[in-house]
Amino acid sequence: MDDLIKELKELEELVLQCMKCGTCQAHCPLYQKDLLESTVARGKISLIESVYEGRLDKAGSILKHLDYCILCGRCKENCPSGVKTDEIFLRAKAVLRKIEKLPSWGKVVLKIVMEKPDLLARVAPLMHIGLKFGAKRVKDDIFKPLLGSFSKRNIKQVASKPFTKTHGGLHKADNEKMKVYFYPGCAANFLFPEWGEAIISVLNHFGVTVYVPEINKCCGIPAATLGELETYKKMVNENLDEINKNDSEYVITCCPTCQYALSEMGPKLTDKNPDKPFYDILMFLNEILKVKFNVDLNEKFSLHTPCHYLSSKKANLKKHLEENFKGDFVVLENQSCCGFGGTFNMKKYDDSKAVGMSKAEEVNIKNIKKLFTPCPGCAMQLTDAVVEVGSDAEVEHPIMYYARELEK
Amino acid sequence: MLNKSLVKKFESILGTNNYFTEPEDTMCYSYDAFSAEPVQPDIVVKPENEEQIKYIINICKDENIPIVTRGAGTNLSGGTVPVKKGCVLLTTGLNKILEINENDMYAVVEAGVVTANLANAAIKKGLFYPPDPGSMNISTIGGNVAENAGGLRGLKYGVTKDYLMGVDFYDMDGNYVKGGGKTVKLVTGLNLPGLMISSEGLLGIMTKFVLKLIPKPKFSKSMLVIYDDIIKACETVSEIIAAKILPATLELLDSFTIKTVEEATKIGLPTNADALLLIELDGHEAEVLEDFEVVKGICGKLGGNIKVAETNEERDKLWEARRKALSSLARLKPTLILEDATVVRSKIPEMMKAINDIKNKYNLVIGTFGHAGDGNLHPTILTDKRDKEEMERVEKAIDEIFTKALELDGTLSGEHGVGFAKAKYLEMEVGSGTIEYMKKLKKGVDPQNLLNPHKMGL
Ligand SMILES: Cc1cc2nc3c(=O)[nH]c(=O)nc-3n(C[C@H](O)[C@H](O)[C@H](O)COP(=O)(O)OP(=O)(O)OC[C@H]3O[C@@H](n4cnc5c(N)ncnc54)[C@H](O)[C@@H]3O)c2cc1C
Ligand code: SF4
Ligand code: SF4
Repeated sequence: MDDLIKELKELEELVLQCMKCGTCQAHCPLYQKDLLESTVARGKISLIESVYEGRLDKAGSILKHLDYCILCGRCKENCPSGVKTDEIFLRAKAVLRKIEKLPSWGKVVLKIVMEKPDLLARVAPLMHIGLKFGAKRVKDDIFKPLLGSFSKRNIKQVASKPFTKTHGGLHKADNEKMKVYFYPGCAANFLFPEWGEAIISVLNHFGVTVYVPEINKCCGIPAATLGELETYKKMVNENLDEINKNDSEYVITCCPTCQYALSEMGPKLTDKNPDKPFYDILMFLNEILKVKFNVDLNEKFSLHTPCHYLSSKKANLKKHLEENFKGDFVVLENQSCCGFGGTFNMKKYDDSKAVGMSKAEEVNIKNIKKLFTPCPGCAMQLTDAVVEVGSDAEVEHPIMYYARELEK
Repeated sequence: MLNKSLVKKFESILGTNNYFTEPEDTMCYSYDAFSAEPVQPDIVVKPENEEQIKYIINICKDENIPIVTRGAGTNLSGGTVPVKKGCVLLTTGLNKILEINENDMYAVVEAGVVTANLANAAIKKGLFYPPDPGSMNISTIGGNVAENAGGLRGLKYGVTKDYLMGVDFYDMDGNYVKGGGKTVKLVTGLNLPGLMISSEGLLGIMTKFVLKLIPKPKFSKSMLVIYDDIIKACETVSEIIAAKILPATLELLDSFTIKTVEEATKIGLPTNADALLLIELDGHEAEVLEDFEVVKGICGKLGGNIKVAETNEERDKLWEARRKALSSLARLKPTLILEDATVVRSKIPEMMKAINDIKNKYNLVIGTFGHAGDGNLHPTILTDKRDKEEMERVEKAIDEIFTKALELDGTLSGEHGVGFAKAKYLEMEVGSGTIEYMKKLKKGVDPQNLLNPHKMGL
């Protein structure tokens, strides 16, 4: 126990940065919902402090409060004192996890997702069939499972074959001018393979050769959020080894959380750095290829900005949408997180959904028909929420429109 | 620790979700934005209606349990640290804006409404709630009234007390008390809203407020003025006031603060300036433009380099940067001690010089910013509470800053209140007779001394 306290105390320099001003209250989606200090960064930080300063003796008991966090990073982004809340939470959880063991469902998930990507790829088709027969179709490829704890959800159909199985390997562009490594991430691999296909076809169109790994290795974030930091570091290391071995110029992602995991937080915790820059596909089109589209949308559309989208690029994302789509762009008043948070959605579905619903309600009231977001997690969550509030809005990735535009 | 049967009593009225006794829950209410030793309460309650509040008061009175009312916990004087343990009562669950009356221009709000939410709701109806403390995105109206919070617009528009028309509260006997009301003129009985202003949770638990709203100013002009000598910036402030011009905002940032704010906000502040003034004039267009010319002249004469905010976006960025000044300073050192010594406006340059001298004398890092237009400066001492030797120097420096402020016809606190942070200095400003009077008042309405005990030394 003393060793663990010592480990927590190593966070002191990071923790002391917090002056307890409370600014994070205004930005934390969970605080906005619950109005309790334990949900906001200031409270969580003070709990960590209390443990290593000896004011709280049951160290393990604070884990539930650290776990009750979407890890959306809004507190960090808006903290005037520059407190690295994400790093504090992840590292503190890893220490406390040694006292409070991971529940068995968590272990199973990690085992399969992290360590057996092959197995995961093989069961995906079964899940595809399972959803087809064990669920009610809500619309197009959205289903509501009939049984068990998933029956409250509106779920996206699982692909019959993972994207890396169908598209792993090199996709050479005619008149190749550069080569990139496309990291699909689990969500694009299993749920949104169409995003991956669109990315390949758009990039190929502009003379960019795309390499897709044969097996998708998870970025490790689910492990990190469950407090299994060692597993996370292992995944970062394996992924970065593979990426660094590849002779591409850039790494392209379509999941801001994967990008954050592999190019931001990962290097901080592992000391291994990627040897090529990471780009979200939209910013790559914007900044490197410098191409523009002219998609005509005859309806109201809006944008949900993912929390993990690089903060320096968030404004560009909005600009990007305004420049590439013609139509009635409505800026949402609710600029909060979608509430998904990966494992948070699994652990605390009702809280997670409540956050998403408040956003979906605005989408519904404003009669928005297309809600764009460049993050698969947000897309899943918002799809679930808009269906629930009875809106017929479609949640989409802009790349789907670009691919269609080029086919015309 | 409270015994089980007592906890059950709380549970019977609050239900299981709105009270907390586990140490990991109560620990989250052991601190506020003032850097003091945390003290953990025995129980935290989050009532959702006035019935529940009344009931809580009754249990606490019967059982001799202190009650600390807590809004957002952003006060800077230790006001919500439960020094005698007991019960922390959260007002965050009472967060409804009950009415915005456009005809009679007032709002009725519950205590836990966040200041910015009220301000935005008023704006949507073409009305204006001026008090805008730097913490307005988080602080509650209850906390604002209890601390008499002032904001960036204090100079022209006054502070919370200038907008409080009515207040509902519960005393320690569980009596419902109503002070003031909705009419512009009202002289029935003692001025209870006036009494509740700055009461720091010592005299009652406030639940509802009637607040005055005013018409939204039609036109405004914001500017940033850059100086290479902070004393010149302070002189500008005095001269603008002396020219009988009342800007809505007249804020000062010293070089140190400019650099850290820029680091936090990246809005493009001139980091090599010695000082900045943020000025906003508002009102009728013709008048604003006329005053602007005079202000421009004064700034120019004293060496200020003026940049006018061209768009609303630019203006909002400036304001946001100023609001983040305090917390940004915390980037530099682990402990931040913020003072809000306030002097009459003409003495600002002198106060500024004194702060500079004290900083050098005790070899401390002090960043200063503040509502210069109303004489309210925030010398902010950056230190590390683990460094005992430096903390002693800090203590001495604070003593001197306060002594100087009082010498210059000033006050210990322009807006952050006394709490326990400044309790020991209070007598120095008001004298022993005043303290005696306050004690009698407090004892009269709360004989068991259960409402936020030990704050203000009471
Ligand atoms: C970054 C930052 C900037 C700030 N800028 C300013 C500023 O510009 N101007 C300024 O004046 N202050 C400022 N403050 C201080 C603080 O925000 C104000 O004092 C604010 O009014 C406190 O509101 P709160 O809801 O957080 O109250 P709390 O901190 O929760 O409580 C403050 C006091 O009020 C009492 N109280 C709260 N609610 C009630 C109620 N319903 N009934 C009875 N008593 C009650 C509490 O017991 C306590 O004594 C700032 C603070 C921070 C952290
Ligand atoms: S985490 Fe940042 S914003 Fe939140 S209380 Fe601490 S210093 Fe303030
Ligand atoms: S990461 Fe998000 S949910 Fe977690 S404390 Fe910060 S703002 Fe709240």
